[in-house]
Amino acid sequence: MNKTGIAGWFNIKDKGTGYFAFAFQRFSGLVIVIYLYMHLIFLSSLLDGRTTYNSLVQNITYGPFDIFIVMDMLLALVIFYHGANGIRLALNEFGIGLKHHKLFFYAYESISMVLLVLFLYYAYLFLGGH
Amino acid sequence: MNNKNSNGLKGLGPLGWLLQVITGVFLIFFLGIHLYLANIDFGHPIRFFTAVLENLHNGYWLAFYIVFTYIVLYHGLNGVRGILYDRFDSQKSRALIKYSLSVLYVVTAIYGTLLALAVSRIAIP
Repeated sequence: MNKTGIAGWFNIKDKGTGYFAFAFQRFSGLVIVIYLYMHLIFLSSLLDGRTTYNSLVQNITYGPFDIFIVMDMLLALVIFYHGANGIRLALNEFGIGLKHHKLFFYAYESISMVLLVLFLYYAYLFLGGH
Repeated sequence: MNNKNSNGLKGLGPLGWLLQVITGVFLIFFLGIHLYLANIDFGHPIRFFTAVLENLHNGYWLAFYIVFTYIVLYHGLNGVRGILYDRFDSQKSRALIKYSLSVLYVVTAIYGTLLALAVSRIAIP
């Protein structure tokens, strides 16, 4: 039982990798759910027509609000983290990796971070594509 | 590493946890494709209005995105349920959480479906 609430997740002092994995899995999950609803609201602007939608995409991709690119990168980070740790937890359910939690955690997260860098590289490369 | 800490959401019960794992596995597939299409697609990312419309005018992609919406919503809101169950353990609180999130799921799923269908019916300029 976690009675400390969300603030308690960030109290990682003197706690191990397991607690960090637990806390950040939940935090990243909440961030993704909030983003999901923001994404739905954003996509609703498709109904306003080409000019409005393209203008919004243009503004958050090429400026003046291109700070959203940084937020997109942070979002990609939490998605890749959440996915990799989620795969580890799913495999644990089948008894895979139970004896070497720490090793599996670092292995999956390392792979996911390499994939994240590749994703960001290609996304940046094709940022100009319409 | 303490596995008790790294495993979360056990308060969901066996079925809720199993569905969380299954939808999570599906999301690797759905989200992987979505991220590729929307951000990379080797020079032709589906980002601007016409590209989005062309994509959703294809019935298979329309079905893909509607199913994707249902799965990602379930996974997300079921996860929120697990987090809230850890914080509130009385039967009354949990019933309220479950009911509220179920309503939110249905409302969002209907909105997402209607939005996808509406966009798929906009004429491509």
